[in-house]
Amino acid sequence: MLKKVDLSIEFCGVVFSNPFMLSSSPVSNCAEMIARAFDAGWGGVAYKTLVTDRIPIIHPSPRMHGCSYEGKRLVGLQNVEQTTDRGLKPNLRDIAYLKKHYPKHVVMTSIMGFSNQEWADLAKAATDAGSDMLELNFSCPHMAVEGSGAKVGQANDLVRKFTETARRVTKLPLVAKLTPNVADMNEPALAARAGGADGISAINTVAGLSEVDLDNFIPKPDVFGKGAISGYSGPAIKPIGLRFIAQLAKNRELGLPLSGIGGIETWVDALEYILLGASTVQVTTGVIHYGYRIVEDMIEGLSDYMAQRRITRVADLVGKAVKNVHETSEFDVRRQGIARYDLDRCVGCGQCYIVCRDAGGSALKWDGKKRRPVLTEDKCLSCMVCSFVCPVSGLITFKEMPKNWKRRKTPTLG
Amino acid sequence: MEKNFDCGQAMAEAERCLLCHDAPCSKGCPALTNPGEFIRKLRLRNVAGAIRTVKENNILGGACGALCPTARLCEKECAATGIDRPIRIGKIQRFLVEHSWKIGFKPFAGGRFELPRPVKGKVAVIGAGPAGLACAAELAKNGCQVTVFEERAEPGGVLRYGVPGFRLSAEFLKKELEDIKALGVTFRCSQGIKGPDGAEKLLKKGFQAVFIGIGLWAPVRPPFGGKEGANVIASVRFLELYRGKPAQLRKLCGGKPVAVIGGGSVAVDCARTALRLGAEDVYLVYRRSFAQMPAEELERIEALNEGIHFLPLNQPTGYARDARGNLTGVKLVRTRLSGKDSSGRRKPSDVKGSDWVLDAGACIEAIGNKPEERSLSLGRLISADPGTGRTSKAGIFAGGDIVRGPATVVQAVADGKAAARAIMKQLAK
Repeated sequence: MLKKVDLSIEFCGVVFSNPFMLSSSPVSNCAEMIARAFDAGWGGVAYKTLVTDRIPIIHPSPRMHGCSYEGKRLVGLQNVEQTTDRGLKPNLRDIAYLKKHYPKHVVMTSIMGFSNQEWADLAKAATDAGSDMLELNFSCPHMAVEGSGAKVGQANDLVRKFTETARRVTKLPLVAKLTPNVADMNEPALAARAGGADGISAINTVAGLSEVDLDNFIPKPDVFGKGAISGYSGPAIKPIGLRFIAQLAKNRELGLPLSGIGGIETWVDALEYILLGASTVQVTTGVIHYGYRIVEDMIEGLSDYMAQRRITRVADLVGKAVKNVHETSEFDVRRQGIARYDLDRCVGCGQCYIVCRDAGGSALKWDGKKRRPVLTEDKCLSCMVCSFVCPVSGLITFKEMPKNWKRRKTPTLG
Repeated sequence: MEKNFDCGQAMAEAERCLLCHDAPCSKGCPALTNPGEFIRKLRLRNVAGAIRTVKENNILGGACGALCPTARLCEKECAATGIDRPIRIGKIQRFLVEHSWKIGFKPFAGGRFELPRPVKGKVAVIGAGPAGLACAAELAKNGCQVTVFEERAEPGGVLRYGVPGFRLSAEFLKKELEDIKALGVTFRCSQGIKGPDGAEKLLKKGFQAVFIGIGLWAPVRPPFGGKEGANVIASVRFLELYRGKPAQLRKLCGGKPVAVIGGGSVAVDCARTALRLGAEDVYLVYRRSFAQMPAEELERIEALNEGIHFLPLNQPTGYARDARGNLTGVKLVRTRLSGKDSSGRRKPSDVKGSDWVLDAGACIEAIGNKPEERSLSLGRLISADPGTGRTSKAGIFAGGDIVRGPATVVQAVADGKAAARAIMKQLAK
């Protein structure tokens, strides 16, 4: 029998049975779906963004485009989906239903007003429906309604103003969901804090344009002859999400709990976000790819990791890697190394030779008879590009060189 | 053993998996293996979980991954076949088990594993082959005290004494057996339980239930008979000697043309073994066609590539011997296929006047095994309920080949597990 590991974590004063949440998106569209997700093991949900009934939302059709890379499907996902297209009342009833039947699961209701009054109305309605907390959507990059979504997130005064508005009408924890389509997320994050936010969710989708049809010149998704710059998500954007979470976590002035989002599919991805400062993590594209079932592996994987290392609380992992994120100016460049080759395992493809010649230090010669690379150590730049293209995993590794070791200078022609 | 996937290859293969809803592969295994789950777990980097899925269901998951006729079980059902080729489920399964040994992950010891509230009871298992081992492991995982009695010097049964090392190495088997020992199962080797009342005696000695999984260890002889010895050997002895005393077999086969009679997996194993023992040429003699051979297609192709000469449509009729009684050849008559027999296969019939003698310095008979006369079942199969292994005698259960006749390792595992569940039900009363 398998011992259960306690994965519970507190986020903005709300206790989650585990840090795994659905993000506000098609995967959290209604109670019927969310109930199944809760049954599968998800600890909480960011309920798909509510809007008032004043401006009806109609999604473009088709509304998504999946990006493949070589044989791998859904490396990225571009979407032009808007906020909920359901009426406010049905959504509020669904939220009340979820809280009645799943009292231990967290419902964080995402809201988006198109005016100051709407922010107040929605915050109040979502609170009255029984939500555990609210997520303020300042970040959808492709809202069809003028001056909403990421447009707000890019205007710090609006972030602060609408957070204040929500703050005035509800006592629930407020989490501001911010856009990565800014130069520095610290500013809107501090604005949200000043407005009374209790936490930050990041990132929303990255504004992108994933593919252009070469025959009709229409970018994807092709909405009856028109394309648009819109939200890009999935594994391809994970490094961007990790970056913003790390930056927010390092910001002492901010000091707010974080919910990490962006390209999470496995427990490993989730743990990386946690180590960089997220208390909870949110997933959409991973669910779009594999279904709610992936949470089983997130739970089992994180449980094993913690049991193996005798870590008893997820909270003890939150931010563990933050102190190791430095400014590049802090690197000790006196210490240098080179690539080390385990040629016994080499299959003789020569890709290392090509990239070293054309993108590295030209430190490799090619022994055509043996079909093996020959390294000139003092020409190796330690860029390690050879190891990225080598098909045999672990054949090329990094090794540090002694203190007095010197790299040869790049030759000059002419 | 054949080289298996490394980490990267296993992951690449897992990435080919379509992660089906309602995974059809998971309905193709007699032992209820769930590849849909362990491949998904591997794909989502939940490697420990994937190992658990394999080993919790089948304590011999490694051996089955290496030996299972997957092409006609799980992989036959694979939906990826509709795109190009099935996922190599057996190889992924074997990778996961070998990986657990490599990284020292023990699904049933320490870490997150804890014994459930023990089912009180002492159970004896007779025979340390696949059925007995699966039964013992299932019981021990649930807290029963299990003692396995094994007639031979070491546990494993057919995995040790019936499968050549190039298909399942001694080292591999040792590690898989360690997983069972780690559950607290006691092994009493060189301690066979004999006599028609052997199982009842164990019940009287304080065991509350007995599982019999003694397998089939007596050779079926061809109708033209003749005595074994004199360079004629049955597959069951041949493969057992290959584990224990290969030098003896090297003398038997070395430098000679060797004939193997039979068309099943065991016959192919014997032929490939003879080649490895230094036979000059190895002939596989089978009375039906190449396509009708019960041996798996992949095994047959590997054997062909290794240089085994296939002589299908040839019926052995006797042995040719010199004046001193030494084997000089196998008498054969060519056959042709005619109308269908009761098994639905086209029947071979002799071609008149086509008799010929295949030169052979040694012959291995591999046409089947049956229960041993001196075993507790006195040379008969034991009749037992297929879902529970219950026999007509209270407290005595049986499974594996001694119940169903010659079958696969995974089928024996399924029987052992089913009997363990029935035994636990009985103990709970």
